[in-house]
Amino acid sequence: MYSKATTIINATGLHARPASDFVREAAKYKSEITIQREGSETAANAKSIILLLSQALSQGTKVIITAVGEDEQAAVDGLVALIESGFGE
Amino acid sequence: MLSGNAVSPGIAVGPVYVYRPFYPQVEEGLCPPEGVEAELARLDEVKAAAAGELAGLVDRLSAEDPDKAKIFIAHQDLLNDVAMDGEIRAGVREKHWRGNWAIWQVYENFIAMLAQVPDPLIQERVADLKDIRLRLLRLWQGEKERNLSVLDRPVVVAAHDLLPSDTATLDRSKVLAILTEVGGATSHSAIIARSYGIPAVLAIPNLLGQVDDGMEIAVDALTGLAVPRPDEQCRAEYLQRRRLYLEEAEVTRAYLDAQPLTADGVRVDIGLNIASADAAELDGADHVDYIGLFRTEFLYMGRTELPSEEEQFEVYRRVLTAMGDRPTTLRTLDIGGDKTSECLPLPKEENPFLGNRALRLCLSKPELFRIQLRAALRASVYGNLWLMLPMVGGLEELRRAKALIAEVKAELEGEGKPVSPDFKTGIMIEVPSIALVAAQAAREVDFASIGSNDLCQYLTATDRGNPAVAGYYQSFHPALFRIIGMAVSAFQQAGKPISICGELGGDTLAAPVLVGLGMRKLSMGLSGVAAVKRTLSALTILEAETLAREVCACPCAGDAEGVMRAWAGKKKQQDER
Repeated sequence: MYSKATTIINATGLHARPASDFVREAAKYKSEITIQREGSETAANAKSIILLLSQALSQGTKVIITAVGEDEQAAVDGLVALIESGFGE
Repeated sequence: MLSGNAVSPGIAVGPVYVYRPFYPQVEEGLCPPEGVEAELARLDEVKAAAAGELAGLVDRLSAEDPDKAKIFIAHQDLLNDVAMDGEIRAGVREKHWRGNWAIWQVYENFIAMLAQVPDPLIQERVADLKDIRLRLLRLWQGEKERNLSVLDRPVVVAAHDLLPSDTATLDRSKVLAILTEVGGATSHSAIIARSYGIPAVLAIPNLLGQVDDGMEIAVDALTGLAVPRPDEQCRAEYLQRRRLYLEEAEVTRAYLDAQPLTADGVRVDIGLNIASADAAELDGADHVDYIGLFRTEFLYMGRTELPSEEEQFEVYRRVLTAMGDRPTTLRTLDIGGDKTSECLPLPKEENPFLGNRALRLCLSKPELFRIQLRAALRASVYGNLWLMLPMVGGLEELRRAKALIAEVKAELEGEGKPVSPDFKTGIMIEVPSIALVAAQAAREVDFASIGSNDLCQYLTATDRGNPAVAGYYQSFHPALFRIIGMAVSAFQQAGKPISICGELGGDTLAAPVLVGLGMRKLSMGLSGVAAVKRTLSALTILEAETLAREVCACPCAGDAEGVMRAWAGKKKQQDER
């Protein structure tokens, strides 16, 4: 298991296109990946757009991304980098 | 030859598109254990077919309407969601649900989950999920797509009726004309057709029994006739008349940006009625002096959750900002009667038009009303807000509403949220009882606006949605003009503005009469603006007053219409000379 924390910096948060971009990136990895709000007990499947949306992760939210599987480190690093890029906004 | 009620002018010839909204038929059903694999295979097929439809839509819309394309791109993501897909398959595999029941149930659960998220952006996705579910269930039942938002060629839409949910996304560029089996001049279909400038003939008996998909039809929405399968001569004649009509419309259009002045130079302010506050509507406001009716119901339509204060505030702010100093007449929630909303379930009433609707409903649900008032008053600092209360019958409910408005204002100011000191409070005059005490009402409000559709309905005791009594709903009834004249005089004497925002205001036959009664503010759908300005430009106040006196002296509506038509005919001759 590998996990990292980061903060959502783009203005719209993980809604709309950024959410789609995030899920598409997650789908590239074989590992099981989850995303959760810091301090929250529920982790959402990072490959499900609908579960991701239900987390309502807006700008400024601290999140933890966790992956389990053969490419866990690459998955977490890739997704954290995407969030920290601000999704091109 | 089909005949109906011409409610939005124009002439068109084109192929019929029969619109029958899809109603899913789903009930709990189990499949035998040996059928599970077949059920899963069927699910795959249906999902692939849905993906195919979406890809086709995205492909077609990317060039012509990128904003709409984005909606369907988002649908592609949701359709392929791994979590929902997993649960649907698990439902079939483990609980032996039928595939369509599994789709229904699993989407239902996810819809409920999203609806709970306290973020309006997320809640909006509920409508997307419902739309995708409908697509899947329709394909499961093997039915073709029926959708007015994406038409592949220009068509004449034929339907039993069109509901707000059907027209919300209507592709106006591809609808040549609208034909329906029910609906009068003030039905939703008619209002939409006029605001989009689409020719429409409504209330054609047994329409759907007489037309088929793809059949050519010639429509004359000036006289209310339609000819299925026109022969060569008929088609040529309709096309010729269409050309003439469009040329005439072009002349009229030149008046769109004209100053609204009578021939003797008296200004009659022209207002716009809006119903969705989208970009196209706000662009239309460039041609007018004020928004005379901002219907706020659209915020409540086609959704299961009530709109939040924040969501309403954003919409109101957008409209007020766009209008700047020009007044925006925001009508508070007018639900009940013929307008119902999924997010606000109301008990069925024997006489909904006489029941708990509009302001009455709001006063019976102050918690609901307060949210709208808070949003509107907060937005007041961004423009020139005229807050209008619908369905006021007497001064008691007006006072109760004003007290509530004052409370909300104090509450907002207590929270440090600014409210404009200049916002105005007024009433719709659509119940005869308030029209008859207009002089008293004028002392307690800043303005009024005549809602001629409901005023006519209540004055003539005619349900405007009931085709059996449509002949009794007479918008040219002399009694209607007389009562409007009384209200106008009362407000003029009090020195308070009075406007009209019902269909009568945008009617080129009625507008001269209204001006003759003293009305100096007419609000209407965009399609009426140029024509009414053109009519005004040929009219002197003296002529208008003479006409109004003649009309009010008529014994019945038919005579009044005769006088108005004769007068319009005379004007047209003068114009051509």
